[in-house]
Parts: sequence; structure tokens; C-alpha cells
Amino acid sequence: MTRAYGSRLALDDVNLALEPGELTFLVGPSGAGKTTLLKLINRELRPSKGEVWVDGIAAHALKPSRVADLRRRVGVVFQDYKLLPRLTALENVAFGLQVGDLRVSDDEATDRALDALEAVGLGDRGSSFPHQLSGGQQQRVSVARAMVTQPRVLIADEPTGNLDLETAWQIMDLLEDIAAYGTTVLVATHNVEIVRRLQRRILTLVDGRLVRDQPAGGIGEMAWLASASS
Amino acid sequence: MAGIGVVVKGRFPRRRMVQVVVANILRYLFFGAARNWFRNIGSIAPALGSMTLLLLMSGLAGLGGFALHNLEQVEATQASLLHVYIRDNAASADVSSLWDRLAADTRVASVTYVTKSEALARARQIPGLPQLADASDSNPFPASFDVQMKSINDVAAVDTLVRRDNAVDPVYPTSYDSGAYQRIQAVILAIAVAGLAFLAMLGFVAVTVTINSVRAAIHSRREEVTIMQLVGAPRWMVRGPFVVEGAITGALAGAAAGLVTFGLTMAGIAEGAGSFTQFAPGITATVAAAAAAIVFATGITLGSGSSLVSVRRHLES
Repeated sequence: MTRAYGSRLALDDVNLALEPGELTFLVGPSGAGKTTLLKLINRELRPSKGEVWVDGIAAHALKPSRVADLRRRVGVVFQDYKLLPRLTALENVAFGLQVGDLRVSDDEATDRALDALEAVGLGDRGSSFPHQLSGGQQQRVSVARAMVTQPRVLIADEPTGNLDLETAWQIMDLLEDIAAYGTTVLVATHNVEIVRRLQRRILTLVDGRLVRDQPAGGIGEMAWLASASS
Repeated sequence: MAGIGVVVKGRFPRRRMVQVVVANILRYLFFGAARNWFRNIGSIAPALGSMTLLLLMSGLAGLGGFALHNLEQVEATQASLLHVYIRDNAASADVSSLWDRLAADTRVASVTYVTKSEALARARQIPGLPQLADASDSNPFPASFDVQMKSINDVAAVDTLVRRDNAVDPVYPTSYDSGAYQRIQAVILAIAVAGLAFLAMLGFVAVTVTINSVRAAIHSRREEVTIMQLVGAPRWMVRGPFVVEGAITGALAGAAAGLVTFGLTMAGIAEGAGSFTQFAPGITATVAAAAAAIVFATGITLGSGSSLVSVRRHLES
């Protein structure tokens, strides 16, 4: 796929496939096209050329009225969490569930939201508002909201960018668990330490081009990673 | 970490499912819109005010237009009705002869004889004339033939035919005033055009202010809208609350304007029943209520329509 902003190519003929249950890192310097790639998967953007298939749905050809169908299959985690400040943690998670599926009753939404919060270790903080939670806790609520709809794909744009290393590891543990249950997880990150230690598949973008596709566990000499992510 | 991805979806009976869907739609579409409306009342107030003013002016202008239309109908009927005034000392034979000629004329629809006392009684019904009627000991109003013409275009010809008749008053022979009907029509047309132009201007202002207030609401809730879109909320659910908010604004403006329109009209009817029906023929309590209902419905349409335009312009999918 290719995506251009005017005359500038944000993504240049990138070709890749992600498998179910696979956790993949997307690395590269700022402006390399990482966020553009995530937005193409979530159909926030359309490719200028090429195709994007998500769980059997042609995202590139999707009509605006059908975009919601795709987004129910794609969970999203942001660097800045994007929680609604006037809702509690539990309500934020339930909100994500109910606006995506009106058939979910209040009781079911509460139960499922509570399950999701317990799964991220925040079962006792459901009644807290976002401003009463730490950054790491807010990010965990964000992960719970993304997962509560049981999406086939989870994309995370710098999910640890605002967190200290210890909290960042907690979030990464969560994302690994999610992948272990069969969800395709794609994480855009600058955190070289995490990428090195987890030894998962690594996609490296530079100037919109996919310059390296390193398979999981194939970690050898990784000196290139620090320069690619800086 | 146990539990991630192991969420069990319940299977509800169909009726229960419908209840749940309706409850969620009410909550996110209508209750959410009402809550946001109250929260943003500061930014909505200008739109509410201008729309109320527009609808009030529209209601009053609509009633005025209806009255003008009726007035034009009355004038058209009046203009095709020729009063032929009989001289006080006219011979019966001359009067009968004139009657026969008028009745036989193919251009005439009907001829009615009005006695002096009937003319006096009729004058007393017209605002301002009772004082004139009472100012003299004798009856100053002449007997007449009310000649209803089939076509307004033949009034001048019949006037020429009768005005030198022996039975007719030589000083003030008929009620014919050439060009009077055309002058009234021209005045009515000018009033209607000016009124429509004024309403169009007010309408433009109200729609623009409403569109801008909805745009401000969209921008102030950009984060919430983005989150809703990203978690897969359907388009109607993202846009719907803004349209409902516009409808609430329009409904409140319409209700206020409709009530004031109805109240002012009823006050006008109650204050001067006689003169009011002369200047605003056909305006009754029923018509006032209908105008208020139309103003209310117009408010809802205008509010939701303006919001829809704004949402389509400023809210990408």
C-alpha cells in the first residue's frame, strides 16, 4: 500500500501480512509512517494506492457508512489514553462496548467491563475517574476498553510513550497476553528496550518504506534498531 | 491476567433485545443530547435567541400574510360589487326601469336593492361611521343597488351605463373608483415582498448562527466524537445527538415563538374584535392556534435541519 499527503509519500509501497495471535512491533524514526500505517488499518485513512485487508474486510474500499463494522474488529490504544474524563473507568470501558453494539444491556456491559478491568488489574478502580488514576492505570483502562469488544486486531500507537519503564512493562505484559489469546497485536513504539527484550517480529519503517521485517526470535545483531528508532 | 478475551455474550430473548436497543438509543441519542444541550447552553443561547426571534416574526408575518390574502379576496369581491346610489327623490318608475336593465344585463350576476335604513344599519357596522351616522338627525345614507358583476373588468362599462340615469344620484352616482383595486393589489404585493425579504434575511441569520453553534459543539466534543468513532459507533449514533440537540433548540424556540404568536393574536382579537376583523379578516383563535403549531413544527425542522447541515460539513466519518 502507498499513502501520500499531497506530493509527500508517507508510506511507499509497503507490503506486509500480520497473523492471528502475533505481536508485532512497528519501529522507525518520527515521520517514518508508523501512525499512517496504523490509521490505514483502522480506516482513519484510505491508501492512495494498494489494498488493506482486515479480518476479511477490504478496508481500502469500505464505504463511510460501513467503517463502524471494521472498527468493531479493531481495538485501538493511544499514547494519550483518550479516556472520557466525565466517565468512570468502568463507564469508559462499558461506553466502548455499548456504542459499538447497542444490543449490549447495562447489566451485561457492566459485567463485561468489570471483567476487562479485572483482567488488566484494575477491578477495584472501576468507580475512579481518569484524573484519579495514574498514567499507567489510565493506559490499562484504555487497553481494557480496546479489548472488551473482543477485537480481532489490536493496534497500539506508542502505548508506553507516557509511562515509566516499570509501568511500560506492565502494559506490554498485557499486550502479550492479549496476543496469546489469538488477537493480532501491532505496536508502534520508540522503546528500544522493550523491543529488544521481547524478541517479537519487528517491522522497521524509514521514510515511509518498509526497510526491514525481522521475524520473532530472530534477534541477532540489533545495533541497527537504536538508530532506526531514534 | 486470566480472563482476557474470555467474555461470554449472553443470548437474550427477542423482546428483551428490543428493549435493550431502545434503552441504549434513548440514552445515547436523546438523553445524551439533552444533557449536552444543557451543558452547552452558553454557546447555544445566541442560536436559541435568533431562532426564537425569527420564528416569532415568521408566525406574525404568516398571520399577516393570511390576513392580507383574505383582505385581497375581500377587496376583489368589493371591487366587483358596484354600488349604484339612488337619488332621494327618484321616481319609482325610473328606479324600476334601472333595476330591469341591470337585471337583464348579461354582465351582471345579481342586483340587490338596499333601502336607506338598511344602508344606515350597514354603516353602523363599519368602524368610525357610527359617529357620522349619529351626527345628523336625518339619514344621510342613500338607497342603492348593489350590483355584483360577473367580472371585475366589466365594472367600468356598467358604471358608464348607469351614472347618467335619471334614478341615480348625480353628485355621487356610484362607488366605482378606477384603479383603486389595482392600487390595493400593488400595496399588498409590496408588503408581501418586503416581508418575505425580511424573513429570508432573518432565516439566513438564524440558520447561520445555529450551524455555527453546532460546529462549536462538535469542536468542544471532538475527543468524545473521535473515541466514539474509533470504538465503532455507527455514523448515525455519532451524528444523531448533534441533530437532536439542534431539534431541542428549534423546539424550544418554536414553542416560545408559537406561544407568543398565539398570545399576541388572542390579545388582538380580545382587545378590538370589531376593528381587528376589519384589518385582519379571517384571523380567529383556531387560525392563531394553527399558526402556533406551524411555528413549533418549523422550529424543530429548522433546528434539526441546520444541525444536520453543520454535522455533514464539520464531522468527517
